[in-house]
Amino acid sequence: MRFALVGNPSVGKSLIFNQLTGLGVEVSNYPGTTIELQRGNTCFQREIVELVDLPGVYSLDGNSDEETLVRGFLEQQDTDAVIAVMNVTRLERNLYLLLQVAEYGLPMVVVLNMADEAVKQGLEIDPGPIRDLLGVNVVLTAASQGKNIDRIIPAALAASRPVAVEIPYDHHVEAAVRSLGKMFGADRTGSLRALLGFGDNPELLEAARTIADEIESRHRMTVAQIIAANRHNFAHNIADLTLKEEVVLPQTDLDSVLTRVFPGIPILLGILVGMLLVVFIVGSFLEEMIVGLLDVFAVQPFLALGLPPLAEALGTSLLLALQAGLGIAFPYVFLFYIIISVLEDSGYMTRAAFLADNAMHRVGMHGGAVIPFTLAFGCNVPAIMSIRLLHSRRERIIASFLVTMVPCSARTVIIAGIVAGFVGIGAAFSVYAVVFLLILVTGLVLSRVTPGERFGMIMEMVPLRRPDPKLVVKKAWSRLSEFLFIAMPLLLAGSVVLGLLEFFGIMAIFEGIVEPYTMALLGLPGYSATALIFGILRKEMAFETLAILAGTADLGAVLSSLQLYIFAIVTVLFVPCLATITVLLREVGSRITLAITFYTVALGLLVGGLMFRVLS
Amino acid sequence: MLPSTFEDYLEAILTITDNGGRTATLEEIAAALGTGKEVAGMTVASLIEEGYLERAAAAVRLTEKGRSVASRVARKHRVLQCFLTEMLGVDAEAASKEACTLEHGISDETIERLSSYMNGAQSSPGRLGRCRGRDTCTLLDCKEGDTVRVAMMRGPRRHRRLLDLGIFPGEVVQIRRKLPNQSVVVRVKGCDIAISPEIAASIVVESCP
Repeated sequence: MRFALVGNPSVGKSLIFNQLTGLGVEVSNYPGTTIELQRGNTCFQREIVELVDLPGVYSLDGNSDEETLVRGFLEQQDTDAVIAVMNVTRLERNLYLLLQVAEYGLPMVVVLNMADEAVKQGLEIDPGPIRDLLGVNVVLTAASQGKNIDRIIPAALAASRPVAVEIPYDHHVEAAVRSLGKMFGADRTGSLRALLGFGDNPELLEAARTIADEIESRHRMTVAQIIAANRHNFAHNIADLTLKEEVVLPQTDLDSVLTRVFPGIPILLGILVGMLLVVFIVGSFLEEMIVGLLDVFAVQPFLALGLPPLAEALGTSLLLALQAGLGIAFPYVFLFYIIISVLEDSGYMTRAAFLADNAMHRVGMHGGAVIPFTLAFGCNVPAIMSIRLLHSRRERIIASFLVTMVPCSARTVIIAGIVAGFVGIGAAFSVYAVVFLLILVTGLVLSRVTPGERFGMIMEMVPLRRPDPKLVVKKAWSRLSEFLFIAMPLLLAGSVVLGLLEFFGIMAIFEGIVEPYTMALLGLPGYSATALIFGILRKEMAFETLAILAGTADLGAVLSSLQLYIFAIVTVLFVPCLATITVLLREVGSRITLAITFYTVALGLLVGGLMFRVLS
Repeated sequence: MLPSTFEDYLEAILTITDNGGRTATLEEIAAALGTGKEVAGMTVASLIEEGYLERAAAAVRLTEKGRSVASRVARKHRVLQCFLTEMLGVDAEAASKEACTLEHGISDETIERLSSYMNGAQSSPGRLGRCRGRDTCTLLDCKEGDTVRVAMMRGPRRHRRLLDLGIFPGEVVQIRRKLPNQSVVVRVKGCDIAISPEIAASIVVESCP
């Protein structure tokens, strides 16, 4: 048995999926969170039921990646029933998609989610009209409270009859459907889709295009517009029958604060600066505590054992890596993820996108780019994946350049650990200022030179919600566990290799070779080059490697403030980490990835070199 | 029902007085209708008697009653002229003349149907005979809080997402927020949609101020 979850973005599909399968799919409160099919199993009466979570879409007739994916999935008819999830507080718009899904003629269950919110708004829901008109089972749920979720699977199992719905279209469209059906034997859905330009029969498409042009010249509206209007009107009628009380939308006072220039933009900037400040201050406090604890309870007892030199060198580098890794992971990475999860779940991101829309136009993108940018503060990898919500390749190229330059939490570790720790917190913020300035300049230049079409933003402002602390922590934890289980082993292995190289004196030879160059160019000792190279694997390794190679965690004793500052700037700009490069390759292709890598290396060395010349 | 001459007078005065905002002198009225001053004086006198006009110093002004009749006639004129020129392709001047004759005999309901047949493209009253240059207001010309009807979308193939979110010709939308930099938020079907300025500029709306 296989069922598929279909619905608008942010209606709670992923939440229902998680509750049914027990898996931890990421849930966020903005369009485009789920961009791939998620599969999971659940058991019902000792039978395994496979669930597929499809990305949230507004329609099946668009050309975006998600819409193509969902359409392709439904066309294969590879599912026993469709579970259509609706946000009952936005029923009319949700029904528009439901009608399109219904036209595919698969067995279906309708889940009216967020029934609790609807009741709060004074709505009275009568599932009768939907049940009768479409001949489907209707389940009222409140996924955030887990109410009635257990009724979904039984209802889906009971749905065996294909849905039959006839949306009354404009008579010209109906006539076109009839003649296409006669000429090519296409069914109603196939003919409609051919009129909209989808399908794989070239003759049918050709004929449909001719008819569509004819209808367009008569109506002065495109066929797509006419069909959309008919569906919306039909949806409107059903919604009217279903909802007993007129929706009195509460004048959300929060929005009148958040989406105005004042105080909206100060709030936006405040959130950004506040996020960095909290991570800096709380992060460094926690880090000291963790590092101190490990020092007392692990490093010192180990050194006191008096093992043979090789074993001691290996053990020390292992412990140092563990210390640095844990000192980074919990304070910085986890904090960042918690703050970002709160922002995501609250729905604030779409407000930020609206406010920043105009500014983003200047650098060649639209407001939606705010979402990847904010995510990038946590980690560049999910940020690069989320640039898919930008429509054109031009915007994606620009975004991929700029997003990789945003200091992620690992680079924050370097800024906080090296600059804020040994130079001063003002200097640490100046690193951000320099990086943001470079991002801005890069954006301004790229928006001039990148070819391609410009697209504006059309984005639904999702309802503001109070983030559920349990979900926030769960999400931050699942992202952190990626760090712990993928990055930490890498950190440990790299550290051991480094310790061995150091022990056998290979490091010294390498450093002897590069030292003249790094001294001349950046005024940095040779071992900093090794640290930079290790920084490609994971950015936080640059910090940790530097500490190991310098032979002390008190970097201020061996390097001058300027050297530390330059090292931090170069590391922050220098080459995206390996994981980012991998995901860039997948999202924008090898040419752009190569260009980004070269650009960031050149920029890092150039800015570092300039600072060395100017400031020393 | 008023004699057609009366309606012509009221319509002309509405035009002269910029939608009833100021007063009209007898000379202006006579000139607009192409009649002598005496004839005009007599008609105006009887219109005052019937309560459609009121004296204001040496000139006259439309009363509330007069204004409503005048706007209705003006609207009929506009719809008819529109229909004649845009749908039937009649020459603009001839259409205006013919509309002047037809406007007195046609019923309100027929005008309504004709108007909605032509996709309901009507602007506010008081723009006599200007239907050819139907003002193209876009979402950008609206103020925060306005409620408008979408008339047309330029480049309909580019912004498929708008259709799917419920913004299509004929739909009524409310402008929820408009930033000084022209980004807008509209409420449609109970949902707020943020739209970039260049896209908002491609959405033509009507009955906006």
